[in-house]
Amino acid sequence: MATDRPPALEQATPTDGARRTRTAPRWLRIAAPIVATVLVVTPIAYLWFGSLMPAGYSVLSMGIPDYGGGPVPAGGHDHGSGVPGGNGPTRSVTDLIADPSRKADVVVDLVARQQDVTVGGRTIRGYTVNNTTPGPAISAIEGQLIEVHLRNESVTAGISLHWHGLDVPNADDGVAGVTQNAVLIGQSFNYRFVADHAGTYWYHSHQISNEQVSGGLFGPLVIRPRTPVARRGSDVTAIAHTYGGTRTINGQGSDLRVPAKPGQAVRVRVINTDNALMELWSGGAYRVLAIDGRELFGPTTVTGRALTLTGGGRADVELTAPGDGSAVRLQLSKATAVIVGSGETAAPAQPNASLDLLHYGTPEPLPFDPTHPDRRFMYSIGHRPGFYLGKPGLYWSVNGRLFPNVPMYVVREGDVAVMTISNHSGEVHPMHLHGHHAVVLSRNGVDATGSPWWIDSLNVLDGETYVIAFVADNPGIWMDHCHNLKHAAQGMVAHLMYEGVTTPFRIDGDEDNHPE
Amino acid sequence: MKMAYRILAYLISLGVALQAAAIAIGFFGLANWVEQGGVLDKAGFESGTISFGGLWGLEFHGTVGIMVMPILGLLLLIAAFFTKVKGAVTWALVVLGCIVVQIVLGLFAHSFYALGFLHGLFAFAVLGTATVAATRMTRAMKAAPAPVVGAPAPADAA
Repeated sequence: MATDRPPALEQATPTDGARRTRTAPRWLRIAAPIVATVLVVTPIAYLWFGSLMPAGYSVLSMGIPDYGGGPVPAGGHDHGSGVPGGNGPTRSVTDLIADPSRKADVVVDLVARQQDVTVGGRTIRGYTVNNTTPGPAISAIEGQLIEVHLRNESVTAGISLHWHGLDVPNADDGVAGVTQNAVLIGQSFNYRFVADHAGTYWYHSHQISNEQVSGGLFGPLVIRPRTPVARRGSDVTAIAHTYGGTRTINGQGSDLRVPAKPGQAVRVRVINTDNALMELWSGGAYRVLAIDGRELFGPTTVTGRALTLTGGGRADVELTAPGDGSAVRLQLSKATAVIVGSGETAAPAQPNASLDLLHYGTPEPLPFDPTHPDRRFMYSIGHRPGFYLGKPGLYWSVNGRLFPNVPMYVVREGDVAVMTISNHSGEVHPMHLHGHHAVVLSRNGVDATGSPWWIDSLNVLDGETYVIAFVADNPGIWMDHCHNLKHAAQGMVAHLMYEGVTTPFRIDGDEDNHPE
Repeated sequence: MKMAYRILAYLISLGVALQAAAIAIGFFGLANWVEQGGVLDKAGFESGTISFGGLWGLEFHGTVGIMVMPILGLLLLIAAFFTKVKGAVTWALVVLGCIVVQIVLGLFAHSFYALGFLHGLFAFAVLGTATVAATRMTRAMKAAPAPVVGAPAPADAA
């Protein structure tokens, strides 16, 4: 660069396009461009450096603690974290378990393998649980203790199982690097939790989750009520997944037929395991009985409207076989349908109108008062260029900042927390909070007026702002992330932590924990 | 460095032309695929398995727009510091500013599709300013008597 100076002749011959300062001393002419370059490059290098994470880091060390206006524990930091809970007593996530003296009511053995799977005539490199994908359905009665023995037979990168929508003890949440180490080939891991809430759930790997879930390492989990409601009809699970571009229900690339007598009602438990939202609609009438494993009060009959089921979300939809002996379809997107009844029926056109769960069903008092919360959090989602682990690109920001500088929401057990989730990123995001169910209070300033709408997976469209509330009643360290798992793998991962809870596990370390 | 500046500015102009071509082939490829019965929805889009002729154009447009163009703009600015040609830095800043505005328009058009109209028009601002920067530098180089084709290259022409 020092040789980069104009020839003397040119210097004496200023032209219209190439006029230069003749008064500046030589050192300045050399130094000025170098300084200017440094000024341009330094902020970029700073951002790049700030995006790097050490090999093997604790989730405790990442993020910006956000106390949501609640008490800051002694020793709590504003930045760089450390242990939220500061100098107080601490508990490890490994101690947060179900009653160890209690005997299991349901015992399930699961073996995970990495193998080719053939779906809809196409073979993809994927994953199975007990040699099938989706894995076997786990079912239990409300209140039973489920014990799952997971063994990894051949998944090279290791596995874990997360119980999506079940508010399990933290040690059993199945997040590699946060609540356990990845289960490597030949290793086993036992999960124990009480199925304390009837509803529709699913389980899936939370190790390299984007690849393993899309490849088939998941299965349905249904908890039935202790006192069965007067059964008017049958009950069927439809787990929808896209394998290598092929849309399926229960692993089949074809419609799911449910035989039913005329007038018989069928509860269809729809589970959306994809990254993308899925629209459900019917040519006939339907009712939405439950969302995310929570019953809705006073569900009314819906016609001519589609229900949006977000990535990772579940909807229990009731269809009634037509009285004339024909069939009724519930479309799970355009490609596949659940057909209840007998005979054929043409696929109904996709309605433009959507069912708004904000005003669906009848209101009921909430079990807690969200009007005077202990913590108020903001989860604002944007999209901007920057660096993720040193790689330049276009990434999702949370509260204006990129991973690892995402919020670390800190609560104390028993707190009532209100969280505002706003999306101005240009894309939809299925927001999933582990270990808790939250109730929707409002959307875009409009209050919820229908049945209490409890969620663990919330579809937040671009331009929408939701206010949700939950009780911090399940201590631990919980992911609060986008369930478009590609987005999570780009750093769209925040955490909810309870004061004083620590984890011995590390992400990206020697144990090869890669939760996303 | 003047030559580097000139090449970078022309590369930005060329980039704009390629961006227009790439997005066009992408959308015509998509339309063609849909005509033949292809179905695009969010799940297909997210699965990363949708494939049609011209799809590369959409990917190219995104990558070049977000990554390559701003890097070229920054390199142009850095090159400008060393050219010692009056106006070079100003024009590099204008070009870089136009690229930033164009990226912002592109990003926000995902939320407000009507901005796509401006995004298309503003491409001409990037093209125009980059071309002006390049031609100004060409004139400056011609006006300077030192560099002669075939003569030992002065350092600043490298």
